Amino acid sequence: MSQKHDVWGWMLAVDFFFAGMGGGMLVIVGLLDLFVGEGRTSLLGNLLAPVFIGMGSALLILELGRPFQALRVFVNPKAILTAGAWFMSFAITFGLVYASFGFDMFFWSKWVLARQILAVLCLVTGLVVATYPGILLGRHKGRPFWHGPGIMILFLLSSLVTGAAAHSLCGFFYPPSTLSDVLGNLPKLTAGLLAVQLLLWFGYIWVKKSGGTTAEAIATQRWIKGDISSSFQFGFLLFGTLVPLVLSLFSSQGAQAAGAALVLLGGVLMRMLVVRGGEDRTWLPGEQKYRSRLPKGDEVFLKAWNK
Amino acid sequence: MARYAMVMDTRRCIGCHSCTVACRVHNDLPLDMIYNPVVTVGPTGVFPNVHMAHLPLICMHCDNSPCVDACPTGASQQRPDGIVFVEEKKCISCKACVMACPYGARVPNHEKGTIQKCDFCKDRVDVGKLPHCVKTCHQKARIFGDMEDETSEVYKLVNSGHPVRLLGELNTEPYVFYIVDSEVKL
Repeated sequence: MSQKHDVWGWMLAVDFFFAGMGGGMLVIVGLLDLFVGEGRTSLLGNLLAPVFIGMGSALLILELGRPFQALRVFVNPKAILTAGAWFMSFAITFGLVYASFGFDMFFWSKWVLARQILAVLCLVTGLVVATYPGILLGRHKGRPFWHGPGIMILFLLSSLVTGAAAHSLCGFFYPPSTLSDVLGNLPKLTAGLLAVQLLLWFGYIWVKKSGGTTAEAIATQRWIKGDISSSFQFGFLLFGTLVPLVLSLFSSQGAQAAGAALVLLGGVLMRMLVVRGGEDRTWLPGEQKYRSRLPKGDEVFLKAWNK
Repeated sequence: MARYAMVMDTRRCIGCHSCTVACRVHNDLPLDMIYNPVVTVGPTGVFPNVHMAHLPLICMHCDNSPCVDACPTGASQQRPDGIVFVEEKKCISCKACVMACPYGARVPNHEKGTIQKCDFCKDRVDVGKLPHCVKTCHQKARIFGDMEDETSEVYKLVNSGHPVRLLGELNTEPYVFYIVDSEVKL
């Protein structure tokens, strides 16, 4: 009963995934346009990037207790959630306008300078959107598994990996207008980022287990031997990181597409596990025992009371 | 300007939960909401040297309150006298404050779709009355008052050197202090 929806749920985790992936895609769009040239990414990917961020925002709204008052989230400039909401809005807008340059029907589609300015804006806002969930979680002093800057790096990295994988998949379905080595190199970029991700996650778990506070060590046990260890080790590390890393190195498009799909599944799973890992607060003396004794909501006396 | 604080003298608390009940009744809380649980630490030690303490938990009304900083709507606010409260009509129940509070002091009200918490019974305090939990405590284990008033009991207790702050290492500067027997380890 007392634990019912008292912490963030799966919708916020999926919001983090969509927003992060969309942000990562915008970063890649911006970088490629500015440093490689126009039309190197799939138009489908360019369009889907802001759409994914929008889907993340929609899930965030659904998670609220009062979804019809969601606009209030823009009010407090000191809150990281407010900054995130603003940057997500900007990223959606810039992403959609940038994608419109891929359609010849729009008279502005040949305005090179305007497109490049938008590429810069997509790069900046995409980077912020990709990073902000990590900053949001890392600032939680009372959540030992999240606290610290490390989670920010992991989220940024995962956003870039999922962004690259999503662009690869979009490229397979709808190839870029300017065919180049970029599409072929995206799986290699994904593989490189996955290798870094694997290394950083091992480091993160190790540091949290051994180098932090007692509360951090206890919270990390869930990831090593506890209830989420199998999902983390087999679901995320093996099938969400290591297997797609290997698949991305094959030259076969089928293997690369399968690898990219696994990366996306791994990205969702990682965020769900991280959000769940945040249920562990730094408990006060005696508090855990007290709360474990509270009714969960399905007890006979509670059902009778609520009738 | 006043700066309200509370001292919990756990040497006096017998764990009767009267404060919990008084708070729930007077604030008309739903069955699944508790603002101020009383948890039990221990028993620790080996007979005959066994020790136990009851720890009334509550919003700490921190000076550096992470819940207020986390609130995107401005619903979580802190008054100049230090009382942290939620302006319900602005709250959208995003749970940012629930996650940010290291003390677990914020509780979602699933019926209203808002987050609620202890506000030191600010409406009573404003007219010179004590919070319900303090008034109810027959052991006088809860002492409430103004930290800016050097003649107040809380000022004297806090400056006596005995009280400790829970999770003080997080630098939230809580304004609820605890007096604990030296034999009890928090």
